[in-house]
Amino acid sequence: MPSPLCSSGARSDGPSDAATRACSRPPTGCGGLADPATVNETVRVRVVQLLSVAALLVAWEAVARAGWVDPLFVPAPSAVARALGRIGAAALAGLGETLLKAAIAYVLAVVIGVGGGILLGSVRPLRQAVNPFVIALYGMPKILVLPWIMLFLGFGATPAVVYATIHGVFPILVLVTGAVRDVDATLVTVARAFGARRWQLYWKVVLPAIVPTVLAGMRLGVVFCLLGVLVVEMFAGLRGMGYVLSSLANGFQAPELFAATALVSAASIVIVLSLDALNDRLSQWRGDLR
Amino acid sequence: MNKQIVLIRAVILIVTLGSWEIVGRTANPALYVPPSAAIPALGRLLTLHSYPDLLEHLLLTLREILVAYAMAIAAGLGAGFALGVNRLVGRAYGPILAALYAVPAVVWYPSLMLFFGLDAASKIAFGFLLGFFPITLAVLAGIRQVNPQLLVVARAFGADGVTAFRKVTLPAMLFTLVGGLRTGLALAVIGVIVGEVLGSKSGMGSLINHAYGLFRTPDYIALVVVTLILIVGSDAVAALLERRAQRWTE
Amino acid sequence: MHDLIVVEGVSKRYVTSSGPVDALRDVSLSVGTGEFCTLIGPSGCGKSTLLGILGGLVGADDGRVAIDGRPVDGPDPRRVATVFQDPGLFPWRTTLENVEFGLELQGMPAARRRRVATDLLGPLGLRDFAAKYPRELSGGMRQRVAIGRALAIDTPIVLMDEPFGALDEQTRVLMGEWLLEIWRRTRKTIVFVTHSLHEALALSTRVVIMTARPGRIKSVLELPMPYPRAMESPELVGLRAKLWSDIRDESLRAMQ
Repeated sequence: MPSPLCSSGARSDGPSDAATRACSRPPTGCGGLADPATVNETVRVRVVQLLSVAALLVAWEAVARAGWVDPLFVPAPSAVARALGRIGAAALAGLGETLLKAAIAYVLAVVIGVGGGILLGSVRPLRQAVNPFVIALYGMPKILVLPWIMLFLGFGATPAVVYATIHGVFPILVLVTGAVRDVDATLVTVARAFGARRWQLYWKVVLPAIVPTVLAGMRLGVVFCLLGVLVVEMFAGLRGMGYVLSSLANGFQAPELFAATALVSAASIVIVLSLDALNDRLSQWRGDLR
Repeated sequence: MNKQIVLIRAVILIVTLGSWEIVGRTANPALYVPPSAAIPALGRLLTLHSYPDLLEHLLLTLREILVAYAMAIAAGLGAGFALGVNRLVGRAYGPILAALYAVPAVVWYPSLMLFFGLDAASKIAFGFLLGFFPITLAVLAGIRQVNPQLLVVARAFGADGVTAFRKVTLPAMLFTLVGGLRTGLALAVIGVIVGEVLGSKSGMGSLINHAYGLFRTPDYIALVVVTLILIVGSDAVAALLERRAQRWTE
Repeated sequence: MHDLIVVEGVSKRYVTSSGPVDALRDVSLSVGTGEFCTLIGPSGCGKSTLLGILGGLVGADDGRVAIDGRPVDGPDPRRVATVFQDPGLFPWRTTLENVEFGLELQGMPAARRRRVATDLLGPLGLRDFAAKYPRELSGGMRQRVAIGRALAIDTPIVLMDEPFGALDEQTRVLMGEWLLEIWRRTRKTIVFVTHSLHEALALSTRVVIMTARPGRIKSVLELPMPYPRAMESPELVGLRAKLWSDIRDESLRAMQ
């Protein structure tokens, strides 16, 4: 039984809201329980996946060797693999730079996003007043303000971290606000009936209730923060993976570029999948509900 | 509307614009351009004084967005239905798609620039790439959330596969689909603009880059405002169509 | 008999989008220690509101409410525990952790909490489900956990708002029998809200019939018979007829 991609929500209050909701979980198979039919299917799925990837690589290699495509633009997989060996060290160094900045931005984004989300979710007039601003800012391509940020903060890691934080804050803020607002009212009533004081309500009911959403937001936040750092590096030529990629492109070094792209893609996928695994461990009580 | 809410919003706007104005007048004029200086710049822009070929660039950006979006719709619907209708295909390629979505899209851009150059084609390609994912995912999600009981009912009334799809599945998933189309538009727009800012010779993004490079800060702000209007306008149109679709499905 | 709960002239009005609604008007009632008092009446008669007022979750507009001589001005987990129709179990807590919840709020040390909760699981019939999460439990089990959570804080009074409302008929009857056992063992005072005539007659020592909105007390039926009740006995059949005739008009009025 496939789990739904979108966490359901009939209201649509902004384009980015839907994007946030639509893509916070990859479609996996049935959760947990493996009956024989499902196991069989999983095997077939894996086979299809592996065969497809292998077929693609083989066809690509054949096409490249036959000379049907200009190797300047579309290098063969074998060339890409060799290039990876050549630039590996430099690319990893750049990746490290980027990841470091992204990590700092990420911590800031999570703190501000979760804190702000709890505040907005709890105080209704504030939330309603601020909502249009948040939606407007969320939907705006933030790259439009990047030049201005750079005017203020110059070059270097600071504008990258600031920009990436802004990028990452919004999905987390929006998700956490919604989760706090939507905490099951019955649970709050129950806690009040048992004499919970205000801080106990937050600590024992609201916070545990919003953990799944916080994790979903954190998953999105990783991609957004990384994206923010890369954009600044490409725009301003800062040290890091963004610069590595754009200078390889400018130098028409296609195999190296593909290799570097593959590297950063792999890193990103690994990070996100790890977060997913963490999410699963912490969400055992939810079972199939995602 | 609640008085408290209006008050809070007014306070936010006043504090933001006010401090911006104050800082703008007292500090480095190249950087801290106050709103009062931005407005005449906007006027110069709209009367085509600061950038005479503004309209050309605006139209180019619009064209890029439309083409990217049209392609994203076509590919997104195609891929979405292909993955959604066949269970094995969906389960095999769905996770691959989602894994790709976990990669920040901008990493593909240098490759696109290498392949397509600095012209409109790379911006269209990037906008397409960004817009394609949410549409595909929305199609998948939409198909999955169709109540299977509805299909059972249709079959019981003698509908065959195609008819059931047309008369049950499509209407039932329309709402989710339209939401995805709206998101796809927003992301296609972002893709095109980011592409232009990061490297292009024409289009609104390139003008913004140009103004920034020459420290023409008031003009830069005016360009941003015009671009924002473009974006908000396109989203407003999309929202209108989405509400139309909502009325049909309820 | 000492009156544990005293309600005098209580009224409650809600302001809704379609105008003000009188939920309760001039309700007076008293419940003695150790009683099983059932509130019954048509939909919308305010019985849940009254229970909310007793539990300190809802404030009365008029009149006074006293528990054990003291006026009620908020939830009092040392004297009153509440069970709702929606069990309201915390989905991230296991059965044991859910039962412990009230004790946790009161600051009882962890080891002692665990013991109290574990001891309760036996009578609750949940000993094998201590580590399960609510999603793994059936509706009846979840409600038992909710009742266990209320029992754990060992209050003299337990309020129950249609606790078996969401269960099927057969489960309801069995849960009712089980609840009687618990009541007799713990000697608590129970105020029980229900729609079900069967439950009212099978479980209570006293039945309070409320009118349609705005709710007030229509009549009170004393049921001194011993347990378990022989529901087919002429006495109870007659009482059932009387109860129904009292409620019927109110139900009709509520439907309009």
